[in-house]
Amino acid sequence: MSATEASGNPQATAGGIGIANLPNQLHKIVTKKGTNFSLMVVGESGTGKTTFINTLLTTELIEPLDDATRRKKQLDKTVDINIHKAELEEKMFSVKLNVVDTPGFGDYVDNNDCWLPVVDFIENQYEQYLRQEQQPVRKGIVDMRVHACLYFIRPNGHTLKPLDVRAMKAIGARVNLIPVIAKADTLSPTALRQFKKRVMDVIDAQSIRIYQPPVESDDDNSELRNREIISAVPFAIIGSTLEVKTEDGRRVKGRQYPWGVAEVENDQHCDFRKLRSLLIRTHMLDLISTTEESHYDKYRTTQMKTRKFGEPKPKKSENKKFREEEEALRKRFTEKVKLEENRFRQWEQKLIAERDRLNKDLEQEHNLVKQLESEIEAISNAGSPNNKFFRK
Amino acid sequence: MAPSAPSINSTMSSRMATARPSSYRHKSEKRGMTYNIMLVGQAGLGRRTFLNTLCERAVIASPEAPNPETANVADPMKFDTYEVAMEEEGTRISLTVIDTPGFGDGLDNTSCFKQLQDYIEAQFDEVLVEESRVKRNRRYRDHRIHVLVYFIAPTGHSLRELDIELIRRLGEYVNIIPVIGRADSFTVEELDAFRANVMRDIVYYKLPVYNFCWDETDSEALVENREIMDHIPFSVVTCDEVFDNEYGSVRIRRYPWGTIEIDDEAQCDFALLRYILLNSHIADLINYTEDMLYENYRTKKLEVGGYGENDEEEDDDEEEQALGASKKQE
Repeated sequence: MSATEASGNPQATAGGIGIANLPNQLHKIVTKKGTNFSLMVVGESGTGKTTFINTLLTTELIEPLDDATRRKKQLDKTVDINIHKAELEEKMFSVKLNVVDTPGFGDYVDNNDCWLPVVDFIENQYEQYLRQEQQPVRKGIVDMRVHACLYFIRPNGHTLKPLDVRAMKAIGARVNLIPVIAKADTLSPTALRQFKKRVMDVIDAQSIRIYQPPVESDDDNSELRNREIISAVPFAIIGSTLEVKTEDGRRVKGRQYPWGVAEVENDQHCDFRKLRSLLIRTHMLDLISTTEESHYDKYRTTQMKTRKFGEPKPKKSENKKFREEEEALRKRFTEKVKLEENRFRQWEQKLIAERDRLNKDLEQEHNLVKQLESEIEAISNAGSPNNKFFRK
Repeated sequence: MAPSAPSINSTMSSRMATARPSSYRHKSEKRGMTYNIMLVGQAGLGRRTFLNTLCERAVIASPEAPNPETANVADPMKFDTYEVAMEEEGTRISLTVIDTPGFGDGLDNTSCFKQLQDYIEAQFDEVLVEESRVKRNRRYRDHRIHVLVYFIAPTGHSLRELDIELIRRLGEYVNIIPVIGRADSFTVEELDAFRANVMRDIVYYKLPVYNFCWDETDSEALVENREIMDHIPFSVVTCDEVFDNEYGSVRIRRYPWGTIEIDDEAQCDFALLRYILLNSHIADLINYTEDMLYENYRTKKLEVGGYGENDEEEDDDEEEQALGASKKQE
């Protein structure tokens, strides 16, 4: 029993009753249970998602694709959802980590609705949790609800693309969305500042909802840190799992260019440390609790308003690939019908032509017969004496 | 001297060993060699800065700040033309650069390819009509695109569907030179790996990029050209500021961790590309466009359209026919 100050009760004895020990109990429970964290990364291919995850976790969780797989994906026109599971352990505390990757997002010529598989996945996890909660036996619930979604923005130096705006709007309404500027080492510091400002302007103007970490804290230091973190949104990051040597001899994680080394953990170069702090060190629990308390709850409320307890979710078949195939089939069908009709028409015309020809022949023959008849008559009239002869 | 009939100039230059621009003497003395470059690529890959760095002056101003209210709607693709009078190694070049902002920036970009193809074909059609006139226009300006510089995004993996489709569709109408925009996002190893991947994709999908070794008669140039082909796609980094040091002015790009010198060949291919585009290969590119691409197009067009002898009075009919033929072509 630790002796801490009593809760404002002037009559409390020096010992208290021990309520203040609850955090320690909680600590023990949580330490034993570990926690479950799901992180989603969304963005075009080549924005450094895989490298970032591997840098964040200092381990190669996601392996880069080989040529054959990548080529199959190049013209695939679909967005996949890949889940990578890992269990991290640090100082006796374990976290079951799920990283959800979305290859194919925004990679094609036609990217309409490419965020739908992402949104569907997020909602499905809520749905799964909802169903499991409603079961009679609720032990061993598998919780894959996404606690944070990192959206990787390609640094084009101007502003957000329409694809980014539409996707972020859809995703931010359902999950904690954290916008990230990928490969930030391609922008000079002034360009980066300007780009960040423009991105935030668009986010405000388009009412895109992003994750707002809580600022107030008991500790002044952490409040300052929180403010710093918030002001750095969207986070500019550089990812690297390699260790390189800088000019002044330090060994750091970074990217070695012919003109210098861009360091991952240097706050002057990028916001990696702030983002890591947000995701893991300081705000992981807040991410988890906002997911459970606000996003999941919102989903649950809307679903329960329209559905009865225990009823399955009505399914929408919005599969784009099917739609395209349907269109293609329909086109083929109309083309075939057209072809057949043409053939038919040609056949009909041939028949008509044939009939006309035969009619003409018939007419010719008819004329010939008439001519012969008239000749015969002429001859018979002319040679009438002979006729009289023959008639006898 | 007969005015700019394409056939005369091409035979003249193919007789030259290394087709240097100085061989176009009679043309260069007048208004400079006509040269048209088209820049295609998504926003943010450095097209505008590339143009400014190429011409060594601010041809295109920075765009005004985009309106956040309309960020969810993509601007349609436009064709912006910029005319610059250049002088390279004593030769005057009347350069026209066509920029295509809006390419690939929308949600659904399938219509971009057709627009580009139509534009390029329209230039060919103009020449076709002009050639067939009885009375030719002495001041006629050739707008055919001699080279298309295509900016690939530095993803680090390989080509994307957009890149593959563009090169596939336009390779038969124009010389395509692929470049890697914003190549300063790569370390040396990554750049080599990316280049190798892109080349593998080009071979695998049989993409018609410009073959520097198309003229096999010149063996010296062939060796040089093979070396150049090893640099495809060219890595391009564009310049933010010009810094004056004791050796003169140096074009640089500054980062907190270092400074890139644009003209240093070890750091990026910009200098090489500039030399190719404006000096060593300008004649090759123009020749290939006129002798091969345009001729192929012309043959296809005439086989379908059925051109015949033309009179000046029939100019209107002939133009109608050209439109009709191009519609049939579609």
